[in-house]
Amino acid sequence: MRHEEALARLSALLDDELTEDEGSRLRAHLEGCVECREELERMRATVALLREAEPPRAPEGFAAEVRGRLDRLRSAPGLLERIGGLLRAPRWSWRTAAAAAAVALVVVFAANIVLQAPLFSVARRVEIPFPRIEGDRAEVDRGEGSGIGLKVRFLRPEATQTAVGKPGARDDARGDAAALPPLGDAASLRRVIKTGEVEIEVEVFDSAARSLLEIAERTGGFVASSSYSDPGDGPRGTLVLRVPASAFGEVLRQIEKLGKVQRRQVEGQDVTEQFVDLEARKRNLERHETRLLSLVERATKIADLMELEGEVARIRGEIERLTGRLRYLSDQVDLSTIRVEVTQKPKEQSGGFWDLDQALERVKAAFLKTVRQMITALEAVVALGAALLPLVLAGAAAWLLLRRIVGRRERAG
Amino acid sequence: MGHDERELIGRSRRGDLDAFEALVVAGQDRIYGLCLRITGNSEDAADAAQEAFVRAFQSLARFEGRAAFSTWLYRIAANAATDLVRRRAADPPLDLAEDCPASTDTESEFDRRELWRRVHSALARLPLEFRVAVVLRDMQGLAYEEIASILQVPKGTVRSRLSRGRLALRELIGEIAG
Repeated sequence: MRHEEALARLSALLDDELTEDEGSRLRAHLEGCVECREELERMRATVALLREAEPPRAPEGFAAEVRGRLDRLRSAPGLLERIGGLLRAPRWSWRTAAAAAAVALVVVFAANIVLQAPLFSVARRVEIPFPRIEGDRAEVDRGEGSGIGLKVRFLRPEATQTAVGKPGARDDARGDAAALPPLGDAASLRRVIKTGEVEIEVEVFDSAARSLLEIAERTGGFVASSSYSDPGDGPRGTLVLRVPASAFGEVLRQIEKLGKVQRRQVEGQDVTEQFVDLEARKRNLERHETRLLSLVERATKIADLMELEGEVARIRGEIERLTGRLRYLSDQVDLSTIRVEVTQKPKEQSGGFWDLDQALERVKAAFLKTVRQMITALEAVVALGAALLPLVLAGAAAWLLLRRIVGRRERAG
Repeated sequence: MGHDERELIGRSRRGDLDAFEALVVAGQDRIYGLCLRITGNSEDAADAAQEAFVRAFQSLARFEGRAAFSTWLYRIAANAATDLVRRRAADPPLDLAEDCPASTDTESEFDRRELWRRVHSALARLPLEFRVAVVLRDMQGLAYEEIASILQVPKGTVRSRLSRGRLALRELIGEIAG
């Protein structure tokens, strides 16, 4: 064993902390090394001196001071404890948390019920602006010379004031005021079948139906058909009015005064050309018939007579057919058809909470709404959770790191 | 670890300050002594020892009971004391008079005091690592295994630190004497 090695093992020899091998080799070295023997003795003396030291006593009141510091700490927790306290759920029991959640749900539910009440309900029905018929503001487009067809231009009410009677108004096709042709001299030659469809909602169905009858009769028309039903949510019915074409606009106006217009549709079908065509064909056939009849007068042979009579009969039939068609068309032109669908306005929902049906309905709606809100909230929580996940992971890592650092300092402190 | 100590530890862990105070009273002299010999003066020693007990209470939850409670406490105290010494910019005043064993022989009283003054100066000049090892072994009387556990180093390291510490200390005492 070299001298330095031996010197480094003297301390362990004193404590008997050498292995057997080390011990014997060290003792062998010591046999021949005076320096090491002297060093061993000096070290033994030093250690003995240190061991003699009086065991010190902690100062008076040491434990009380420690206690005081801990008491103060407890009333003002350290930073780490405070953060930890924040991160840990508030010191509520699960029961408290569940109760709080239940209260929150009840509040939401109650709010939903209250918001369903008529007092707060916002009118959901949107007023769809329907074109109103203003006969004196109508314009008739004569089809640019190419076709049958009547184009009814709809003018904006506000635009109408200036547009009426001006040529430019023709091009203003935007607008919602219905127009009907003012059939002037030129226009009166035209034959137009006018039909209208109106849906109105009235307060009382029966009186509305009576009013419709009166309107039709006052203008010289009649109710062509009527139907009535009551599927449960109030009576509804359809009346078909036939009124003179000249009164078409006026009648529509009166009908629309009866209630709230839900829908309206006005159509004009120009049948002038059909009229002209039918009349021309009829005139031709009549001339043909006259000529045939004159031939019949002069006929000598029975066979000729028979043939001519047959032809006359055929032509007569054709004339009758055309006449019928013309009569139908002029009837359609003379009498406009207005189809009116009448519904009775549903009873105002004002039964109050003690209207059991309605109350139940409201409770059901509120319940479903609450459930939907819960699902929406859950969705939001899931989405938020997913969005916050990286942040939470980073936060958790930071928290662990902080704990380790502080913990290590505490252990190392 | 006695049954009483285990019970006191359990209660302290649940926040019972009375129980912890009993643990403080039981360990205060050893812990204060260690701190005194590492720091070299009673004021720093009291500070370090207090700090050690406060930290121990705060981290009781992390005390796993694998080591003895006293070993764990020694570890915290050794750390607190060395921290304090490292923070000290200037050399602290030495104040270890109480280490000097009482003597009945009045003639040698002066010599003994002079000897202990030299021992304390030497200890204060000993590198901290060696000082802690020597104090734990020769003044607190702990075994190599326990010191290794307190310092969280292998037993071989304890052995070499002790060896170098004792050699250096012997030399320092000699120097001061000369």
